[in-house]
Amino acid sequence: MKFKLPFNKKQTPIVIQATKENVEMIIPEENNFTQMIKDATHNPSDLIVKSIPPNLTLIYIKNLVNDQILNDHIITNLQNKIYETPETIKLSLSLPEVNISSQLEETVASLVNGSVLIYVEGYSPVVLANIPKRESRSLSAPENESQVIGAQVGFNESLSTNISLVRRNIVSPDLCNEEFKVGKRSNTSLSLIYMNGIASDEMVNTLRQRIKDLDVDALLDSAVLVEMIDDNSLSPFPQMLLTERPDRFCDGLLNGKLGVIVDGSSMAIVCPQSFIEFFESREDKNLRWQVATFVRLLRFTAIFLSIFLTPIYVGALTFHYEVIPQAFLVPLSESRALVPFPPVFEALLLEFIIELLREAGARLPTKIGQTIGIVGGIVIGTAAVQAGITSNILLIIVALSALASFTTPSYTMGNVIRLIRFPIIILAGFWGFFGIMLAFCFILIHLLRQTSLGAPYMAPFYPPRFQDMRDSLIRMPLPYTAKRPSNVRPADEDKFNPEPIKPEKS
Amino acid sequence: MKNPIQLSAKDMINSYLLIFVIHSAQVGVGIHGFQRIVYQEAKQDAWISVLLAGLATHLIAFCMIKTLEIYGSNDLYGIHQDVFGIWFGNFLNVIYILYCSVAFFSVLRNYIEVIQTWIFPGLGTWFISASLLLVTIYAFTGGLRVIVGVSFFSIVLALWILPLLLIPLKFASVDSLLPILEANIGSILKGAKSMAFTIIGFEILQIIYPFVKDKENVKKHVHLGLLFTTAVYLIIMLVSLTYYSEGKLDKTIWATLTLFSFISFPFMERFEFVAVCFWMLIILPNLCLYLWAASRGASRVIKISGTKFVWIFSILIFIGTLIVQSRTQINSINTHFGNIAFYIIFVYPIILLLVAMLKKKYSSQKEQK
Repeated sequence: MKFKLPFNKKQTPIVIQATKENVEMIIPEENNFTQMIKDATHNPSDLIVKSIPPNLTLIYIKNLVNDQILNDHIITNLQNKIYETPETIKLSLSLPEVNISSQLEETVASLVNGSVLIYVEGYSPVVLANIPKRESRSLSAPENESQVIGAQVGFNESLSTNISLVRRNIVSPDLCNEEFKVGKRSNTSLSLIYMNGIASDEMVNTLRQRIKDLDVDALLDSAVLVEMIDDNSLSPFPQMLLTERPDRFCDGLLNGKLGVIVDGSSMAIVCPQSFIEFFESREDKNLRWQVATFVRLLRFTAIFLSIFLTPIYVGALTFHYEVIPQAFLVPLSESRALVPFPPVFEALLLEFIIELLREAGARLPTKIGQTIGIVGGIVIGTAAVQAGITSNILLIIVALSALASFTTPSYTMGNVIRLIRFPIIILAGFWGFFGIMLAFCFILIHLLRQTSLGAPYMAPFYPPRFQDMRDSLIRMPLPYTAKRPSNVRPADEDKFNPEPIKPEKS
Repeated sequence: MKNPIQLSAKDMINSYLLIFVIHSAQVGVGIHGFQRIVYQEAKQDAWISVLLAGLATHLIAFCMIKTLEIYGSNDLYGIHQDVFGIWFGNFLNVIYILYCSVAFFSVLRNYIEVIQTWIFPGLGTWFISASLLLVTIYAFTGGLRVIVGVSFFSIVLALWILPLLLIPLKFASVDSLLPILEANIGSILKGAKSMAFTIIGFEILQIIYPFVKDKENVKKHVHLGLLFTTAVYLIIMLVSLTYYSEGKLDKTIWATLTLFSFISFPFMERFEFVAVCFWMLIILPNLCLYLWAASRGASRVIKISGTKFVWIFSILIFIGTLIVQSRTQINSINTHFGNIAFYIIFVYPIILLLVAMLKKKYSSQKEQK
């Protein structure tokens, strides 16, 4: 049974081929030409028309071009000299990207992309000197995916900066970069990046096709792109990783995964990604393997507790008092003695408050957000217990599971962990452990049904691949993890040739 | 050979997954209380009966694989159609589909009863039945890949229960196994026969066989799966025999669950509450595999699509669980089903193998002439 997808991913957009007759040609007369450009761009206030005597006219949009280059290289060069043809102008400009075009559409497209149009009186072709000014913030530490040991730089919103970050990490001619334009109105550029010779061609083709088939108005962020190109948009579980760390991105590329960087978005996409890989941090690779294994196990325990601890509390207190040991039953009933609500309501209320604090903390400015978190947490928590709305023990459990859900190295996955807790709590409130198990089975089957770019989502556990399990729930020492995960169907399976750790002994 | 099943490599599974499929298909609700039924016949020699029943499964699995190997890539339904002709073959296929349906029903009904007895006396049959059916349908519509995945996880995630059986061993006395071989051979065999209801499930092999990628390894992995099941049953039987005092097993309907109820941790007591709920994961592959087998058969006999079949099937089963309510009814269904299953699973494959071999000899002679 297949669900209908909200986006018509398979639909191929109708491409209107621009035939020669449809293309508007530029008329070689100064006034008319300026008017044509003004009409085509709807005469914005930042459109500058500057004429340089005797026969040149510059047209550009003030906020899109780099003023310094415009002054130093174009205006200075062109003043007080007589150029006859566009060709001679093109030759005289010391700029890397200068084109000549006589088609209106191309000219206007270039203009809004940050070009200066240099029009020579009496000639139909115009010179397009591309000197864009791209505003972007400077590089900073990744805020959402911080780590202690490892690089402290994150992607920013500029496509070219991000690609240069990747190119700095992987200095190789095999790093392929294909650029696409997506969005009829926004014309967003995005880059499909992969390692030739490692990434599987089939997967590259699939992803390329999915991006090409997109027929959308605008694309403002990579997170939206993920929802449009992943395998099952209806699932709450993300099937592609969003990361703002260049090292995590490059790690994926070197393992044979594909990456997508969208201009204007600081999150890069990595796919295919299996479920377990969302819980692996890049930092695990930087730590000694014993420590990394411990941290990973800690994280998985945390996630399990985060999902099931509150439901188990609700289930046990509503239906299965017998399960609770007697020694524990006394403090539990004491703390619950004053609570007027059934456990399910009590738990939902507290979870709701915690989510509220999280959401308020995320929306408020950083300084206030922290204060709200602490004040809200302590004040509301203490007051709720003293007022007898909730029990101390539940407060601990709810805080613990909220804390645990933040150990997920992927924010999108952490959100899902927090979300799926609510239906499980409700099920536990109505049908006890049976309800929890029902939810567990549903989630298990749901995860088994998912794929990421056609690769099984539950890999390496199902289908079982023991080679890949060495770097999943635990992390074995480097010599044992010389193979790339087979989930990405890599063209080259070996990362390196493993050698004995201590050669002199063996 | 007629209508072999052609499959793309993407739909097929690796043969080592058969270990999990076979084991998870065998272990289900029977394990909750098979001790009493066997104990009634063989007394303290019940473990020998379990061993014999396990041996029998290996023998029958051997016959099944031999039959399937004659046909290369075909399932039981196709073999029936080829050996007995379209009409009688399809008649047998319908019987087999009915068998799978009754097996599905009996697993579901028994589990509902266990839940109602142990945890939720007030919870409506319709709710448990509907919720379990929905989960099964969700898994079934994902295809064989998901069903085998459920089998795999149901075993891997349930492995931790096995070491817990060591806890009751504290109170066990080995003396209750003595004297060995007090029961005569007849009652031991009778005990083995009464294991039928508990130990069936491996017949799924006859349907899943064409979906296995590397068929030359099937034998090894099927027998490994069966061995694992026999070992689990044997361990549970030995623990129960030594734990319960003489005659007590006669009166305990769910001996395994009663064993669990003595297990306690510092943070949890009355383990059977968890176990009974957790058992959902263990019976899920049972349900999925029987449903899948029935739907394979239905699609071969009347060319019905899987989705359509699963809804009709589920509605019928749902009505069935509402009709059969009392303990006596369920018990008599179990007994009768166990008897019928014994003949379908433990006798019929041998006959089929002989017929198939004769037919092969006959047709090859014909070709030579």
